[in-house]
Amino acid sequence: MMAVSCLTRALRSLTVSQPALLSAQAVTQTKLGTVVPCTGGQCRGFLTTASLDQNRTRWKQTEKYTIKPIGMKKTGGRDHSGKIRTHGIGGGHKQKYRMIDFQRLHYESDREPKPFEEKVVEVRYDPCRSADIALVAGGNRKRWIIATENMQTGDIIKTSGVIGRMAVSANEGDAYPLGALPVGTLVNNLEIQPGKGSEYIRAAGTSGVLLRKVNGTAIVQLPSKQQVQVLETCVVTVGRVSNIDHNKRIIGKAGRNRWLGIRPSSGLWQRKGGWAGRKIKPLPPMKNYVNLPSISNNTT
Amino acid sequence: MIGKHARRHFAVSRCLTAKAPPARRPRERVEIPGFEMVTYGERMHYVPGLAKPVYPQWERDYKDPRHYKTPPAHQMPLYKEKPCYVYNQRTSALEGVRQALWLTKAKLISGLPPRLLSLAESPANQIPDQDERVQNAIKHARFWDTTEDRPCKEKYSNTLLSNLLHLCATLQSRHPAIGRRILAEKYSLATTWKRGEDLFQVRGQNGLLYNCMDPLPEVSGKQEVGDTADHVLKSFYPVSPSIDLQKVHVYKEEVNCSGFREGYPYPHAHTLYFQEEGDINCKLRPKQFRAKMVMFAFGNALARAHSLYGTQPQSVLGRPITVQAVGTNGRLFQFLVFQLNTTDLSGDNGIKNQVWLDEDVELYDYAKLRPLIKKKQVKVPAGLAGYKPETFRKFLALYLHGAV
Repeated sequence: MMAVSCLTRALRSLTVSQPALLSAQAVTQTKLGTVVPCTGGQCRGFLTTASLDQNRTRWKQTEKYTIKPIGMKKTGGRDHSGKIRTHGIGGGHKQKYRMIDFQRLHYESDREPKPFEEKVVEVRYDPCRSADIALVAGGNRKRWIIATENMQTGDIIKTSGVIGRMAVSANEGDAYPLGALPVGTLVNNLEIQPGKGSEYIRAAGTSGVLLRKVNGTAIVQLPSKQQVQVLETCVVTVGRVSNIDHNKRIIGKAGRNRWLGIRPSSGLWQRKGGWAGRKIKPLPPMKNYVNLPSISNNTT
Repeated sequence: MIGKHARRHFAVSRCLTAKAPPARRPRERVEIPGFEMVTYGERMHYVPGLAKPVYPQWERDYKDPRHYKTPPAHQMPLYKEKPCYVYNQRTSALEGVRQALWLTKAKLISGLPPRLLSLAESPANQIPDQDERVQNAIKHARFWDTTEDRPCKEKYSNTLLSNLLHLCATLQSRHPAIGRRILAEKYSLATTWKRGEDLFQVRGQNGLLYNCMDPLPEVSGKQEVGDTADHVLKSFYPVSPSIDLQKVHVYKEEVNCSGFREGYPYPHAHTLYFQEEGDINCKLRPKQFRAKMVMFAFGNALARAHSLYGTQPQSVLGRPITVQAVGTNGRLFQFLVFQLNTTDLSGDNGIKNQVWLDEDVELYDYAKLRPLIKKKQVKVPAGLAGYKPETFRKFLALYLHGAV
């Protein structure tokens, strides 16, 4: 469409007529000092192909945050070329995406960066994830967050970015930096870099454990028993994620899997390679997301 | 390799997938001060190695109404630094009636005031054959008004309201003061007031307005009005009272318009009639609907007070202004009486306004086309079932208030 309109616009200028319409361009041309030998009229260069305007991922590219559910487009496991990149995805019930605010310590634009409280308005099921989500309202804004285990309507949850000298006795659902929590608390919604937003421990019923705090960093054990070392200013929420009986559910029939958008796997018997079978190996080393000089490197 | 170059898109019959090609970062345009960029603009065609020419944005030098772009908010002439929170007809307040009470600095009393209740009960103000005529009105709205099986909710609540208003108007022969009133629709209300440190406005086309030449008498005496000074408004921390209100920076200060010009023969607002299905895009839950009723009744009263006593806040009005409101969804009615005692709304202390609210009053239980049969027994018969005559008496009392 755009290509056609570009073409017509350019061709219209190519008609043999008085170049009075393009006087502005003629002025700029003469100002530059060069006289272009015009072939039947002046025109800017035009493309015969326009960029392919695909609005397939535009539904998730809005910058403005809204609590209204957004209609999603299903990919079916296909990538931009149209071929299947991930098998076993397709069909399933239609889902609407609710924009979740993973950055729990998100100050409202008008207010000062101080610890604040929010009220839980509603806890509801989210089709896009295993955990439940909660609509919380504080100040002048409402947002969706991942609900923790015992969150009910009407609860007041606190979010703070302050690390005090004493460890805070945290209630479930509150969010504090790792440095302010006592060792051994169950945490979820962990962020690796402070301010980035939580990327770990978000699934239903999961929780990490704060193992120890070491000069400015904290070590957390993820649900897979892997340990990570992050800065102590990273904000986490306290408690287990909601919907704890999610792993105890029984699918029951093939149809229910299809409702969830899971297509059957290939029935072809394939010889399994070295990857298959039970493996007993030691835990991987602790992953460090902090760029600090280690304690042993004492500079002289 | 295929995906790297731009491709023309021929297939329109196949389904289009949701993933777009990976976005290519456009080449960065580097500006080095002191150097002139050599572009292919003069050559009129692309030359590899030369930069893409950048032309200045062309502005039309005459004004064309078909191609007009609104300037951004901070360039508008009415832009103000301080924001204003606007309650319009589509606002759905999170906290419902509590938020509306805090915004209007009002005290809630559940149930209608005793004077209106006595008006409702007295047999002298009844229409002849009242029950039968009201039931006929309900049946007309719910069953007879359509060629299809049943009319939709918007239609039947509209018809029911107009039928009930018509029935009430038949009493004009007995109470000639009813002739000094008129109904008005689609009028735009606007009022401004200050609450705490923020500026609030009520704006919008709200519903059916019943206008009167004479003001409504006040419902509660001076003693009760003075007692409201001790009442403490309920706060709902941590939610702020301006939540869900539209925040605007471009607004007219001190806008006060009751919807009608000076010299309109029916200046006093008597009753507002709200319907739940008025706006398709806005579905209000019961609490939010009642909050809307409170806010717009207050808006009308405040507009009247500003035009009578001026825009300066007054701690006690010499003559409190009363406005009534009725909201319905076709079966349930909400009755509201709002009395404006003060326009000094900036502080939380002092005399408060009063709100009498009678919520969820049923006019009838069921109006079914087909009977509800469970286990071969008729639980609810077809037609109108469970008619309650008290509701219409209250409706009539609100209508006759001021005329009797």
